[in-house]
Amino acid sequence: MNAFRWWRGLVSAFGLLYLLRLLLPLPFANEVIIFSIYTIGCNFLLGHVGLISFGQPAYLAVGAYATASYLYYFGTNPYVGILMGVAGGLAASLFVGPFFVRLRGDYFALVNLALAVIVFYLTQNVLVAITHGDNGLLIVDRLSRTPVLDLSRPNQFFIFALLIAFAVWAFYKYLDDSIYGACCLAAKINENKLRFLGYDDRGIRLLAFVIANTTTALAGAMYAVYLGFVSPEITSPARAADPLVVTILGGVGTLYGPIVGAVVYTGMMDLASKFMSNWELIIGIVLVFVMLAGEKGIWGTLEPRLKRALLSPAAGSRPIKGASR
Amino acid sequence: MSTDIIRADGVTKRFGRFVAVDRIDYGLRENEVSGIIGSNGAGKSTLFNLLTGYCAPDEGVIHYRGQDITRVTPQERVARGITRTFQLTSAFDNLSVVDNLVLAFFRAHRQPSLLRLLINRRKRHRDAEQIGETLQTFGFDGIRDREVKRLGLGEKRRLEIAMAVLSEPKVLLLDEPLAGLAESEIKGVLDVLRRRRGLQAILIVEHKISHLQDLVQRLTVMHEGRIIADGTCEECLSDAAVRRSYWQIDVAAGREAVAP
Ligand SMILES: Nc1ncnc2c1ncn2[C@@H]1O[C@H](COP(=O)(O)OP(=O)(O)O)[C@@H](O)[C@H]1O
Ligand SMILES: [Mg+2]
Repeated sequence: MNAFRWWRGLVSAFGLLYLLRLLLPLPFANEVIIFSIYTIGCNFLLGHVGLISFGQPAYLAVGAYATASYLYYFGTNPYVGILMGVAGGLAASLFVGPFFVRLRGDYFALVNLALAVIVFYLTQNVLVAITHGDNGLLIVDRLSRTPVLDLSRPNQFFIFALLIAFAVWAFYKYLDDSIYGACCLAAKINENKLRFLGYDDRGIRLLAFVIANTTTALAGAMYAVYLGFVSPEITSPARAADPLVVTILGGVGTLYGPIVGAVVYTGMMDLASKFMSNWELIIGIVLVFVMLAGEKGIWGTLEPRLKRALLSPAAGSRPIKGASR
Repeated sequence: MSTDIIRADGVTKRFGRFVAVDRIDYGLRENEVSGIIGSNGAGKSTLFNLLTGYCAPDEGVIHYRGQDITRVTPQERVARGITRTFQLTSAFDNLSVVDNLVLAFFRAHRQPSLLRLLINRRKRHRDAEQIGETLQTFGFDGIRDREVKRLGLGEKRRLEIAMAVLSEPKVLLLDEPLAGLAESEIKGVLDVLRRRRGLQAILIVEHKISHLQDLVQRLTVMHEGRIIADGTCEECLSDAAVRRSYWQIDVAAGREAVAP
């Protein structure tokens, strides 16, 4: 019964995402899933560890370029390509993490932005021999067909992405329920106290950084395979705040906020760009209203109401809350 | 004085030219319950910081169970059994009461490597026997799942003491645990402390002697970085120097105890 409760939310969330695919165009559904995975790392850093980062595109690009380079120069199997992207993200965050997690607040936010700018110029200018600069790496015709799920087909890619997203969400849910999850929330509030309780607060933050940014790189790797193409635009500073915006839109620190935020944000962009020329202005205005409406975001506002509506008649249901969600 | 579990020998702490703690000798015996009073700025919190390693003394040494710990980090001192609470409450606001206790408890019973933190689920530890006992002792039975930010100040103070106690300290240092509390809340905290007598040494900073009279075996009075009196509550209150420097901030208690 408890195990069922644990999975119930996850299964219904991804069931809904699957329905999305039946109702809406396939590219939209695929982009939403990739965007959600892109955002969940940022959401975890901000909501559970209190680290705000303006540089998430850096890790997205590392994943995307590691995948694309592998597929362009070495192999053809997209699954191996995605693994390379994840490995690249892991290596990159392990490399910069120990330096970055010493920083707090504004400094942490900006050092990541600086990294995104560095990655942008590396891919656009410095490493042109490998990355082909603005022309990017075209890998769409290099993907070999794989048994079971053929990632070069959008409909099969969708199933793959859905499964990966399910695993990612199960993992983050597990993190939240572990003692480690409590440590992260504690570090967010009062890292000194945590240290003097005897915990390794820097190790806790570093692990969160590595987990979050490796997830972000996974999104980049999937994006590269999905588009069949990577260019420096992926780290364009104009897009640097995207995952933050989606995080806040969905509800900071909520488990399903990134999915809700990604659906709404991607939907808004699609609709607005279809019907008007100055669509980015419209989105800006909508976001201002969302921020003013409350700090909780869409899912943060809806979740307690839904819970009350769905659970209150059930006998013996008690609101267990380990942490603010 | 080899029976002292923790002692400061000739410690001095300066901030610039200002001397916050001035050549203090102070020892706490095993399982002793002792109090420190003194006006604001007397150096009580600074003395706590020196004992717990939050700042290093400019002169003097700190001994704990016969070992020189003057240069030992605060974390290491916690691990060896010196635990403190803060003048400002510092339980984790965004966690529930029981999860705060789980964090304190989990640390006390194993070295928490990151892997350990990852493979242990909170829920299992919430039901640990010792957590249950602590919830009961400290009066958190009905509100174990409440977020700390929704607790009253008295409850927060009790929670902090509960967290400190869960790490099974040998020395418990409490910095003004009664400040800002209503009389009914004060009684709750004092009850809890009374029940801890004999289980570890307790050193408690407080402004009102009247609150400490039934609790502590010994009282120390600080003034401008120095100890000006040390003894039973009655001895301190009848001390001339104490009455000169201290009576104005504890008029009520003073009148009760030493009224002519
Ligand atoms: N970090 C610090 N820097 C400068 N001065 C300090 C610092 N900490 C304490 N002091 C000064 O030392 C004196 C003693 O402070 P404190 O130990 O907090 O007093 P108490 O706890 O007895 O009220 C005060 O005058 C305070 O201004
Ligand atoms: Mg003080």
